[in-house]
Amino acid sequence: MKYEAVIGLEIHVQLNSATKLFCDCPNRPGDEPNRNTCPICLWLPGALPQLSQEAFEKATLACLTLNCTIQPESAFDQKVYYYPDLPKGFQLSQHHKPLARNGWVDIMGEDGRNKRLRIHHIHMEEDVAKLVHETEGKTPISLVDFNRAGTPLIEIVSEADLRSPHEAMEYVKTLRSQLRYTGSAECSLEQGTLRVDANISLRPRGTDELNTKVEVKNMNSIRNVGDAIAYEIIRQTNCLEKGEPILLHTRLWDPEKRVTSPMRGKFSGPCIPDPSVPKIVVSNDWLKEMQGRLPEMPGQKKERFLREYGLTPEEASNMSFERDLSEFFEAVVKQDIPPRKIAGWMTTYLVPALRDRNQTIRETLLTAERFTRLLSMLEKDIINAHAAKEVMLQLLSSEETPEEIVEKGGFHQVSDTTELEAFIDRIIAEHPSVVEDFRKGNTKVMGFLMGLAMKASQGKANPKLLKEILTKRLNPKP
Amino acid sequence: MVSEIYTHKNMSPNSFANDGSLSGKRVVIQPNMSVRGWLCDAGSLALKGFVALEDATTVTRMRNAGVELVGSSRMSELGFGLAGDTATRILSGGEADIALVTDTMGEARVAAAGSGIFGFKPSFGIVSRFGLVGLVPSMECYGILGKRLEDMIDTLSVISGKDKDDPSMPDEGFPDFTAARKPLKMPCTAGVVKECFDILQDRERKAFRTGLARLEEAGLTIREVNLSDFDLFRVVHNIVASVEASSSAGKYDGVRYGHRSSSGKNWNDMYLNSRGESFGSLIKTFLYQGAYFQFENYPAFENACRNRRRLVRAVVDLLGHVDLLVFPTMRLGHDAEKAATINHIYDAFLLTLPANVTGQPSLHVPSLALHSEVDIGVQLIGLRLEDPRLLSIGLKLSSTAQGGSAA
Ligand SMILES: [Zn+2]
Repeated sequence: MKYEAVIGLEIHVQLNSATKLFCDCPNRPGDEPNRNTCPICLWLPGALPQLSQEAFEKATLACLTLNCTIQPESAFDQKVYYYPDLPKGFQLSQHHKPLARNGWVDIMGEDGRNKRLRIHHIHMEEDVAKLVHETEGKTPISLVDFNRAGTPLIEIVSEADLRSPHEAMEYVKTLRSQLRYTGSAECSLEQGTLRVDANISLRPRGTDELNTKVEVKNMNSIRNVGDAIAYEIIRQTNCLEKGEPILLHTRLWDPEKRVTSPMRGKFSGPCIPDPSVPKIVVSNDWLKEMQGRLPEMPGQKKERFLREYGLTPEEASNMSFERDLSEFFEAVVKQDIPPRKIAGWMTTYLVPALRDRNQTIRETLLTAERFTRLLSMLEKDIINAHAAKEVMLQLLSSEETPEEIVEKGGFHQVSDTTELEAFIDRIIAEHPSVVEDFRKGNTKVMGFLMGLAMKASQGKANPKLLKEILTKRLNPKP
Repeated sequence: MVSEIYTHKNMSPNSFANDGSLSGKRVVIQPNMSVRGWLCDAGSLALKGFVALEDATTVTRMRNAGVELVGSSRMSELGFGLAGDTATRILSGGEADIALVTDTMGEARVAAAGSGIFGFKPSFGIVSRFGLVGLVPSMECYGILGKRLEDMIDTLSVISGKDKDDPSMPDEGFPDFTAARKPLKMPCTAGVVKECFDILQDRERKAFRTGLARLEEAGLTIREVNLSDFDLFRVVHNIVASVEASSSAGKYDGVRYGHRSSSGKNWNDMYLNSRGESFGSLIKTFLYQGAYFQFENYPAFENACRNRRRLVRAVVDLLGHVDLLVFPTMRLGHDAEKAATINHIYDAFLLTLPANVTGQPSLHVPSLALHSEVDIGVQLIGLRLEDPRLLSIGLKLSSTAQGGSAA
């Protein structure tokens, strides 16, 4: 039988507000353990939670950018469960009355067509404390770090509209891009500021059965989200083919072994309305103000880039996908460098370099102004593309100007014909048989000789001139 | 200093403000009201040794108004019921003028009724709960006890009002307690709920009728009214309060404070044993009940919440026809201090529960409902935020009562 996967994602996103959700402690879980705490987030007797306006606003922006409807009234519930990372005995979460409902994101499906994936709702909740288990030493102990306790999260619950690992990865990517645009969250799977839980079930293709679902957790990259779902689909298919029942449970993705394995379920209890946090009522005026705060979103920006800068659709998506890069791109465009050239350079060289260094553009020393100067040197034939790439890499971490780097590194392009002729003459002399081949009509060897000549110039030769001279020398005047 | 009646006796109770409106008034609180540096164990082993880190808002406000904090009285475990409460003993012994006690189901009024003094439960949400180690957040509040109603009114006007540390309070609309001192606007109608009157025993009825007669003497008109759902108060309170209690008490795990069991081979065992050893049997039963409704019978909880809203509407509706409702405060043969089971507790507080369920203010007036040495008390309930009016009626009634008995 042919099966079809039915996938829903529950995504926890940590908001980047300055304070925690219900107190004034800094929202910096990574600090020295238990530094960012107070009676409220230590959940001590007598303390009362106070909703942070900033966290609430950031949550609202996140909901709006995902096309959700903010509910006129939302409220917090006590989600009861007992575990050492939650010594209060309940987590404040919006179970019965979430902040927002009915959103969507559009992704590019595998068939290249637009697909709309629906969001069921988004709610706010507080994060729990972090457990540190020290198993070394005579007595193993468990420590609790409350820095993360009470930090603000939103949980984005999709409809079970997703059908493949590809769609799940595209959904996470698009959602992450949108959320980052609003400036409400960092959304790093690697650092745990975005966590994906996938609910997966199978059904015979073409039916609309609802079957037992299995939850998969612990994917720390987008790639892993796809792989874990793909693995789980195969695992469930095998079970069904063997006639084994699918049981409702939770599995952990093991990124090393690349398999999922069952985990002991956390005991999860009921949600009762919290009597201490006042319900949230939003007015239309306030909602309008929030909508006004939303920046231009990637979709809109892509359209504008197509229109204004004549980029190809692919270039336009590449340049609009991340807010920082899109702003960087536009800042360089303003300096009169051809937009397609900038887009090409950023896509081919800059973005891969950032990926290699695991940095964002803001974390490097490369500003739009420095990048512009680099590209103008290229435009003016002061350096060639090969050298420009080297200089760009240095600009990421060097405080020197592009001109200083070119000067010091001797990256100037060699455009002196005598010098270039010398390289070429030497190569022709050293490779008589290749030259012979060329003259017999094998023009493919041209590339080989160009490579040698470029190498001889230590990559600094002006490629246009070099080709001109080589062509001249290989085709002696009749 | 610790004693039989105090969990903390303040050895230097001198107030900071000698010219405050409560200057020189001596107030005793309970050990679930935070005073920085004082034991704050809420009468439970589960909080053994927990010392408050900051002052409750009520404490700050009273100190600023010149109050001398006498100390903390002993209290029932987590403020549920009156077993072991010593607040009234401290007042009777003349060691304090005012006592603050947690009122979850009528503790202040019932305790007052047992000692011939005034007991008042303010409207829900007008006194900050910041620093109160609570159990049933949607029903409990600071209850206030005293011999002189005037002192209680002065205290209320100090401790009530918006507090930025308690966001659950409304932003405005707080009652002006100075209005309580002004003469009562007449005429005034008091409603007697038939369904409540019907369950009273003969002796209770006789005493209550005496009380009603005193109300009429003071110029109030008595009318019979119907509240067909009266029997629901008990079950609604039991379900909602036990669920909230189960949730609130979830944090008592014996890890950072409180009694921690020495046995157990893993943390699950540690929690189970610590909690098992910490709680007394009454509160344990109550928490079990709450856990049952949370985990096993949630629809019953939802139903109770719906019924609670219905009860609030019904009472508000009645108070649109009469100015106040009048009930006896306590029942004969149901000693709140000795109640050992949940049923006994609800029997003993049956008549005071309604105000906690609906959030209305309620005043117990002593020495009115007397019959052959028995004083079951007259309890007045008014609309939420109409606290001053109730107190003003209380003042009028007590001046009437002065002639007959020493209040
Ligand atoms: Zn805090």
